[in-house]
Formats: sequence, C-alpha cells, structure tokens
Amino acid sequence: MQKPLATTRSATGIPTSRLAVWWVLASEVVIFGGLLASYVMHRIGHPEWAAAASVTNTWIGAFNTLVLLTSSFTAVLAHQAAEHGDGKLAARYLTFTIGGAVTFLMVKAFEWTEEITHGYTITANGFWSFYYTAAGLHALHVIAGAIIMGFVARDAAKGRELHRVEIIGIYWHFVDVVWIFLFPLLYIAK
Amino acid sequence: MSEHNHPNYKKIYFTLVGLLVVSVAGPFLGVVWVTLITAFGIALVKANMVVQNFMHLRWEKGLMKWMLASSLVLMFLLFAGVAPDVMRHTGSGWVNDAAIAATERGIEVHGEEAEHATESEPVEETPEPEVAATPAAFDAAGAFATVCSTCHGASGQGDGPGSAALDPRPANFGDAAFWADKSDEELVRAIREGGAAVGKSPLMPAWGSLYDEEQAAQIVEYLKAFRPAG
Repeated sequence: MQKPLATTRSATGIPTSRLAVWWVLASEVVIFGGLLASYVMHRIGHPEWAAAASVTNTWIGAFNTLVLLTSSFTAVLAHQAAEHGDGKLAARYLTFTIGGAVTFLMVKAFEWTEEITHGYTITANGFWSFYYTAAGLHALHVIAGAIIMGFVARDAAKGRELHRVEIIGIYWHFVDVVWIFLFPLLYIAK
Repeated sequence: MSEHNHPNYKKIYFTLVGLLVVSVAGPFLGVVWVTLITAFGIALVKANMVVQNFMHLRWEKGLMKWMLASSLVLMFLLFAGVAPDVMRHTGSGWVNDAAIAATERGIEVHGEEAEHATESEPVEETPEPEVAATPAAFDAAGAFATVCSTCHGASGQGDGPGSAALDPRPANFGDAAFWADKSDEELVRAIREGGAAVGKSPLMPAWGSLYDEEQAAQIVEYLKAFRPAG
C-alpha cells in the first residue's frame, strides 16, 4: 500500500506523526494550562475553597496517580519493545496500559458517585465546578487514549505500524503529566 | 525511530513512585511551606522526569522544545493578565461584590475550618452541601411576599386571599388614612406582638418569633412604599 506523502516527507527532520502529536500536545498545554491557571488564581482569591478541597480523598487521588504512573511505565516499555521489532510484546504492554486506564476510570466513577450523592455537585460552589471540569476533561483524555491504544495494540500484535506505539505513548505520558499536576491541585492543597 | 539509548525506565518509574509517596506524606508534617514544596515542587520534578525520559523530549530537536515553550508562555501570559483581577477582590476604583459575598458566605458555612484547613492533614468532613448557606441580608420584600401578603395583599391593599373571611378587614397600606396616626414603633410592635398589642384586630398574629426588632423595622420601611404620595 502506498503511504500518503504527509507521512513520509519531513522538512523538520522529525517524523511527521511525532511532530503532529507534539503539536496536539502543545495545544493541550494551552487548554489544560488555561483551565488550571484559572483554577489557581480563583483558589488564591477564595480562601473558603480550602474547606471544600478538604473533602476530596487524598488516598483515592494518590492511588490513581500510582495507576497512571504505572500505565505510563508500561507504555514506555511498549515503545521499547516496538523499537526492538517485537510487536506482540508491545501489544501486551499496551494492553496493560489500557488496563490502567480502565482502573483509573473505575476508581473515578466510585469517587464521583460518593461525592455527588453527598451533595458535592458541579454547581455546589466554585471549587467543585473546577474539580469536575478539570478532572472530567482529563478523564475524557483517558477514555480517548485508551480507545486509540486499543487500535494501535491490535495492529502492533500483527507487527504492523509499530511506529504508532511511540506516538500513542507520547500522548499517554502527557495525560499522566496533567494528572501529576491535578493531584496536588485538587487533593493535596487543603 | 529514535537512535538514542533508552534510559533505565525501571529506575525512573520507581523514583516517580517514591516521589509520589513523599508528596502524600508532606502534608502530615503540618507545615504549609513543606506541603507546598512536596506537592507542587515534586509535581514539577515528576512532570519533568516523565517529559524528558518517557516522552523523550531531551532527545528531540530544538524546534519541538520551542513549540512547547511557547505554549507555556501563553499559559503564563493568561495567568499574569487575569490573575491580578481575580486573586484580589478590590482595586483602585473597583470592587468585586459578588466575589466578596461568595467568600463571606463560604467562610460562614465552614466556620473556622477554612482558616485552619490549609495547614491540617486531610480531614474527613461531615457532608454539608453548600446550598445550606446562611442568607446574606434580610429580605423585607421577600418576608412581605411570603407572610404578610396572604392577608394584606401583594400590593398592600388589604385584599390578600386570606382577607375575605376577616372582620375587621386587614389594614390597607395604600390608604392615606392608615398612615395618618401610625408611628414606626407602633407598626414594629404590631408586627412582632400582634394586632391586639396595639389595640387593633387580634386576628393580626404576632410574628416576633420570625422577625427581630431590626427586621420588623425593615418590613415597616418596606410598607412605606405602598403609602400614597402626598
């Protein structure tokens, strides 16, 4: 099959797919950065939010951080396997990573159910609005990443399109990095 | 694919987990600046480790770094431009009433907690939905609409739904004659102690359990809006 021109030529010397995912991430930095910067300035202006923040469960947040760090670790191992041409192993590591994504989302679902049934809804106050918006946007990225990873893993298992393992990995590490900041902002800073 | 040697991923992963433990443990010392460092300082270190080693940014071309740097600059520009107005609630020539009211309401609801929470370890708080916030100011118009208007009528003409069966009729605040011989004190007393207390109809109940002296006086001020001009 002939490859489209865009995937083969590279004026920058950087593979086009990798350049593309970095462009995506550069715009994501502005999306999440803008959201989190707004949260920080409001949080500083509203000392009363500390009381709302003290309701969030640090242990759940820490557990989910561990889950994402681990899934990032398996994603980078998948990349390493793909570089060695071992598509099957890469697919297996990617499946672990998807497992991490699913675990993360299930924990989130229980956590939110608990909070919402206690009256801490997105409209309860400014803190909770940011809490659900920021963590919700992040969760959407987790869902999207897990789905794309499923396709990449399916191909990788057959030894096809192995370069994609690195690309989805870079995206996944970014999702991890966003959570690395969300965790102290929403769970630790009481 | 990249030609560089892979870093020791396992070592980086365990360092990241170790840093996570430190960031969770930090707040237990109960010192604000320690918490800030273990929370946000470590978040920066962790994020940098992931970006450099897992995302391989350190082996990317300069172009890529400039691209990301410009995104970060935009983020800081947003913060620098907006934060001064958001973080403070007053400035030269402006006051953000809504933000001040929200802060006061929040602190009333949570009491002292808010001030101490910054330096305490994670506290399990009994659920207390924000909706239970204390009303900011007494609403005389609202009080009239819910309580008085039943008999005195929405426009104070003494023609509320409850007035039909009453004899004598409820007072008509739109009648100049009503205002001819009434002092504020007398009206406050009528509201709080009932009609009988001021020699009027005993059918006017005493509302002293609902409204204190000050609030009753505000209702009286509100009643004056019905008074005919002149």
